[in-house]
Amino acid sequence: MAILTFDKVTVQYPIYNSRSMSLRNQLVRISTGGRIESEAGHIQVVTALSDVSFALQDGDAVGLIGHNGAGKSTLLRTMAGVYYPISGKVVRQGRVATVLELGAGMDPELSGYENIIRMGILMGLSMTEIRGKTQDIESFTQLGDFLQLPVRTYSSGMATRLMFAVATSTQPDILLVDEVFGTGDAEFQVKAKERMEALIKSVGIFVFASHSHDLIRQYCNRFFRLEHGLLAEIASTDI
Amino acid sequence: MLSNSKFAGIADIAQAFQCARIVAFMALSDVKARYKRSVLGPLWLTLGTAGGSAGLGFIWSELFHIDAATFVPTLTAGLILWQFISGIITESTVLFSRQAAIIRNLNLPLAIHPAQLLLRHLINLAHNAPVFFVVALVLGNHITLTAWLALPGLILLSLNLLWLTLFLGLIGARFRDIEYLTTMVMPLFMLVSPVFYRPNYLPFSEHIIWFNPFSHFIEIIRYPLLGSPPPLFVVETHLAMLVVGWSVTLWLFNRQHHRIAFWV
Repeated sequence: MAILTFDKVTVQYPIYNSRSMSLRNQLVRISTGGRIESEAGHIQVVTALSDVSFALQDGDAVGLIGHNGAGKSTLLRTMAGVYYPISGKVVRQGRVATVLELGAGMDPELSGYENIIRMGILMGLSMTEIRGKTQDIESFTQLGDFLQLPVRTYSSGMATRLMFAVATSTQPDILLVDEVFGTGDAEFQVKAKERMEALIKSVGIFVFASHSHDLIRQYCNRFFRLEHGLLAEIASTDI
Repeated sequence: MLSNSKFAGIADIAQAFQCARIVAFMALSDVKARYKRSVLGPLWLTLGTAGGSAGLGFIWSELFHIDAATFVPTLTAGLILWQFISGIITESTVLFSRQAAIIRNLNLPLAIHPAQLLLRHLINLAHNAPVFFVVALVLGNHITLTAWLALPGLILLSLNLLWLTLFLGLIGARFRDIEYLTTMVMPLFMLVSPVFYRPNYLPFSEHIIWFNPFSHFIEIIRYPLLGSPPPLFVVETHLAMLVVGWSVTLWLFNRQHHRIAFWV
């Protein structure tokens, strides 16, 4: 049973060490999403989400759209409990898994196998669970004996395979995904898509931020548009 | 889950206790990763400490006309403890920014990071500690039962270092200058702390050196190692620092907990 509710959630974050009143910042304000405001003195505050409210429950698959800087990643991180709102309330029930920036906790000096354990432990898995999933990760990544070598010897595509395989090896109630399909060779893209689809079917709530409207239409049944930190639910025809 | 809890920091620490497994695994794995391609691995630490204290010890005991059998173990214990203490403090200022990838992507309690840092240095300390015992035995010192008092001392010291790490981590995440400030002042502190000498070697300034908290940090363990229980005021200072330090740190952690993810 997964629940994810936002009630008038506003997320602001401070930017330190930036010159607040420069012309450049005024231009930035016009061309990107977040509204940049000045807090006390010279600390700038970006309002990444303002007054966002929605309620998600089991079976909801949400597609998030919005241009760069509209607040998609901030919204995903707030959903995950990484960022905390300055006002409003977040209610979250269920085990959360994130596929945001891949490879949190990866150490390039350690082997692929050791990194599977490291990332798995950080994701909250037990050793037995990780051992159980290792075979699946082996066969998905097709890295074979490379898994015994340090990750620093991998090409970026190989590292992505590993990180993606581990990140998608949990069975969460809530799955939050930032666009990650854009990497790797064509064969990997096909496999990643299959794996993602299987995972999406198994979770309660799925939230997916992407610029690819086709993917969003394919996987999602609700659609949110973020613009300047404001969230609006739209119909699939309006994407 | 409440999004604006007044005791966010305390709740975070309570959660971190449930993540003890993660902390232990990550600390071990970090040590392993660091020495991955070396043959002797963490034993290099041991060798370095042994070489350093042997070299410095014998030359200085001659230079200062002190008996090597008392001076060298003192110096060895001082060097090992200083490595432990200053290593933790220097790393604590970049504690949260080093772990930015984890903080920004996984919903884990923030307090696991200071705990992981402390544990990693305790593992290193365990590699260095045998050097002291070997040096002391070779020079004919007796390790008495009093030496066991070093263990409760280490626990007190670790609890104090833990709040200090969290505190420096918090202000270091917000003010990046703290990192450079700490790297600059720690070598200076080494000279004004009783690392190479005991406070009672100083003819005039013994009472002044006790104003330096590092004197207490070192001596609470070195006293029992060299055969006498630590003076009561050293233990009392530790307890006072525990109360004051944790109060201030928890107050700050409660206030700033929700902002840290934005700072890193």
